[in-house]
Amino acid sequence: MSRCSVIAALVIGLAVEACAGEPLLIPATLQPSEYRGDIQIWSWNIAAASLEKLIPPFQQRYPNVHVRIDMNATNLQSRFLLSLAARVGAPDISQLQVREAPRYSVTGKLTDLTEVAKKYEKAFAPSFWESCVYEGRIYALPWDIGPCAVFYKQGIFEQYGIDVGKIETWDDYIAVGKELVAKSDGRTKMLCVPTGNMADLFEIFLQQSGGQIFDVAGRIAINSPETLETLNLLKKLLESGISGNIMPFSFEYFASFKSDTIATYPMAAWFGGLIRDYAPDTGGNWGVFRLPAYHPGGLRTSNLGGSVLVMPDQCTQKEAAWAYMEYAMCTPEAQLAQYRDFDLFPALLSTHQDPFFDEPVPFFGNQRVRRLFSLDIDEISVMYRTTDWMEAMRYVQQALSKWADKKQETPAQLMRSLEEKLSRRLNRPIAPSTEKRAEGAVP
Amino acid sequence: MNDPLLKRIWRHRHFYAFISPFFVLFAVFGLYPLLFSLYLSFVQWDGLTPMQWVGLSNFRNMIHDEIFFTSLWNTLIIGLMYIPPMFIGAFLFAVLLNSSWLKLRGLFRAALFLPVVTPMVVVAIVFTLLYGQEAGFLNWLAGKLGMGPFPWLVSENWSKPSVSVLLVWRWTGYNMVLMLAGLQGISTEYYEAARIDGANALQRMWYITLPLMRPVFVFCSIMSLIGTVYMFDEVFVLTQGGPGSSSTNFGLYLFNTSFTDFRFGYASCIAYTVAFFVFMASLLILRIRRSGTE
Amino acid sequence: MRLSHSTQQQLLRIAAYVFLAVMAVLFMFPFYWLFVSAFKAKDQIFSLPPVLWPDPWRFSNFAAVFEKTHIVQAFINSVVIACGHCTLALFLCSLAGFAFAKYPHAPGRDKLFAFVLATMMIPGAVTLIPVFVVLCKLHAINTYWAMIVPGAASAFGIFWMRQYTMENVHNDLLDAARIDGCSEFRIYWSVVLPVLKPAMAALGIILLIGSWNNLMWAFIVLRTTDMYTLPLVIYLLNGENRTPFEMIMAASVLATLPLVIAFLFFQRQFIAGITAGAIKG
Repeated sequence: MSRCSVIAALVIGLAVEACAGEPLLIPATLQPSEYRGDIQIWSWNIAAASLEKLIPPFQQRYPNVHVRIDMNATNLQSRFLLSLAARVGAPDISQLQVREAPRYSVTGKLTDLTEVAKKYEKAFAPSFWESCVYEGRIYALPWDIGPCAVFYKQGIFEQYGIDVGKIETWDDYIAVGKELVAKSDGRTKMLCVPTGNMADLFEIFLQQSGGQIFDVAGRIAINSPETLETLNLLKKLLESGISGNIMPFSFEYFASFKSDTIATYPMAAWFGGLIRDYAPDTGGNWGVFRLPAYHPGGLRTSNLGGSVLVMPDQCTQKEAAWAYMEYAMCTPEAQLAQYRDFDLFPALLSTHQDPFFDEPVPFFGNQRVRRLFSLDIDEISVMYRTTDWMEAMRYVQQALSKWADKKQETPAQLMRSLEEKLSRRLNRPIAPSTEKRAEGAVP
Repeated sequence: MNDPLLKRIWRHRHFYAFISPFFVLFAVFGLYPLLFSLYLSFVQWDGLTPMQWVGLSNFRNMIHDEIFFTSLWNTLIIGLMYIPPMFIGAFLFAVLLNSSWLKLRGLFRAALFLPVVTPMVVVAIVFTLLYGQEAGFLNWLAGKLGMGPFPWLVSENWSKPSVSVLLVWRWTGYNMVLMLAGLQGISTEYYEAARIDGANALQRMWYITLPLMRPVFVFCSIMSLIGTVYMFDEVFVLTQGGPGSSSTNFGLYLFNTSFTDFRFGYASCIAYTVAFFVFMASLLILRIRRSGTE
Repeated sequence: MRLSHSTQQQLLRIAAYVFLAVMAVLFMFPFYWLFVSAFKAKDQIFSLPPVLWPDPWRFSNFAAVFEKTHIVQAFINSVVIACGHCTLALFLCSLAGFAFAKYPHAPGRDKLFAFVLATMMIPGAVTLIPVFVVLCKLHAINTYWAMIVPGAASAFGIFWMRQYTMENVHNDLLDAARIDGCSEFRIYWSVVLPVLKPAMAALGIILLIGSWNNLMWAFIVLRTTDMYTLPLVIYLLNGENRTPFEMIMAASVLATLPLVIAFLFFQRQFIAGITAGAIKG
């Protein structure tokens, strides 16, 4: 054996990993009081607050399970993967963005929930359930989804005598925005388009148009008429002079909830929870109208965000952890409570028929916003996320930022360069053109 | 004939015992990682799932990796923006602080050096406040002077200068102390002799101080070069490399590739490549220096 | 009218004082901002025009930090890690530096020393991932050891100590001790170490700054809240959506003060040590 191969063997020997753990099985005879443990959960923001609020009712059922919520979203992906790789430091349960879920499922470091969770397969929208499954095994439970609409400040539009009810398409929206900016002498912008961070808007617009970044087979499918439509819309918004440049989720952004710098926010349902949380005294001043369509009669909703819960393999009290996951995600009572208190739109389908959805919401000027958000949800196209979604979106965001700054490329050129870049960076082939893609779609 | 050598080694066993901790630690945390990293350059691995041998494909990807080159370009630009003012400032401060007539020396020295002692994360957060778009101190000040507001951290064109200002603030004191040490190492006899020959202050600076300070300048340049390439905390906290990728330097890009994307193989590949070029650049600086003294 | 030489010099000196004073104020301004922000109410941190002087001074920000974060634990962790790292590194470097300086006839000494110098060229960035993997295998992730040990054998430190030992430790001193029957380690401990004090002070402060402020490595190897160091706690607070800026500022002051105080105390020794070890080659 040569010296080189000894070294190579040493090197590889250290890197060999144990294989994934056994699927979680819970005997049916286990009584709720027999579940025991101290469960630590990673979560963020209003979602964390929501999980916290579910603890007392949960403990009435499972008196011997204690739950602690760690609220911190900073660089969660890195921290979570580092803990998985090091096999130490992961929580018992973690919240994840639904779009990140496939990234973690493939690692084999999450608990296989198939045996305990498969009975819920039909309880959730298929497009969300799909993100929780990898190679036929279930690794996550869907939590909330992010149907989109436009949040607006009623006071501003009343002050300038502008009617938002006439907005049907994005062109109408821009026209109203121009009127608003003109009447307020440029003080009030219609919306916030952060040139350095347009990924969220891009995702909303892309999913609304039915476009994709990947196709079902995981190939790069960003080169499409839908993407072009999306980019053209972004370009129009940027060039119309109705947008302000504030980084989303920065302190200035949250401060804008209370001021009159920004009039509307095209965002997902959970955004309402953020407003209620950061600017509780603005209640009643807000309203919601449906997302403007690309064309008259077009789809007036989209999706942004939404999350899942997962259980890392390191969790030592899996039964207790599962008890909490199941309670929080799969009981209508818990899911409705989370929507009521924190605007987390339930992924659990059975809740959408609840009369609760037709109640007026005082914070949003007594509008029936929950029903509004639930409209046409099943028409939102399924996004094929793959394991590279987060990385791909980062490249998209960087390219968009450069594009908005330099203003050299046309949307079509930008799209083509993105296609090439993504294919190369992610080592994935480019999908055949749109017509062929529809035929050749094999899962 | 081996015998005397072994004997000599045995006689100096303390020497080997005293230096062995270094070599043991180096083997575990230096040599082995170095070899492992080299191996990783040829595989695809995320630290979680099994490795895959991919040959040279990491290197091929690197050649087409636009963000990699952007990060190198950003590193260069940031370096060019902050190193010259920092060097000039540090040298000026060092010369002034080295003057015998100066009072309050300790006070000035402390004021200029304290940024070095401060945790980078704290520095970056304070600068985030100062750089705030609407409510930041600097834009308020600029407004008072009838300028701005400047998009310090929200524009692709401004992020690099903003980072550079922070770097100058942070590292001038460090270089100042090194240069001060260098100045104090210059024997006063040279100056005496020059004065007798009738050289004025500027001439003494040009013909004595600058040439004799060359080793210090070389040391500071190499440290700054390496520091800029592998800088991390500064951009990680202040801009996260943004907007877009406009302030992503190589260190941050490497960290993101390693511990956000978990592309261990590719990360090792770019780390090795850049380390090679940094090494060559350092050699070049040393060579220039040597040819200058000859 | 021509100014006399001494008037000219006087003017130049005044100009130098003004320049230094302006620069000192500029350099201290972020500290001032940090300090006053730690005593402001949250609204005051972002109010326009900026609040230059908090009114009233709120100590409650500090109370909130102690109450709502693990700052005390983090402080202890930071102290243990910084002191542990510093002590270990100083010990190893001075020991090896002494050996390289004072055993000129040990076979292979020069080659070994050249090797040590060569390792300085290896940037930490290349070994980042493998060291993480090694620590995983040693089950050292999320322990103090992961922060203390990997950087402790610093080639730069050895070089520094060797330089200082060569110039300041006299051979007759060592020989005298040997005649008295001291063991070699004893010589290092009782004869050499006391002489090395200034060099140790300077190197120690440099190591302390690096270790106390280390964010990246802490982020990678410290995995649970009870192990976090101060920079990590502050970083994680800062990234939170509901960024409690008034608390971050208070925590930042607490993280900054120890080293600032230490530096002000040891400033003279530090500068002296740096000067003594000034780069000579």
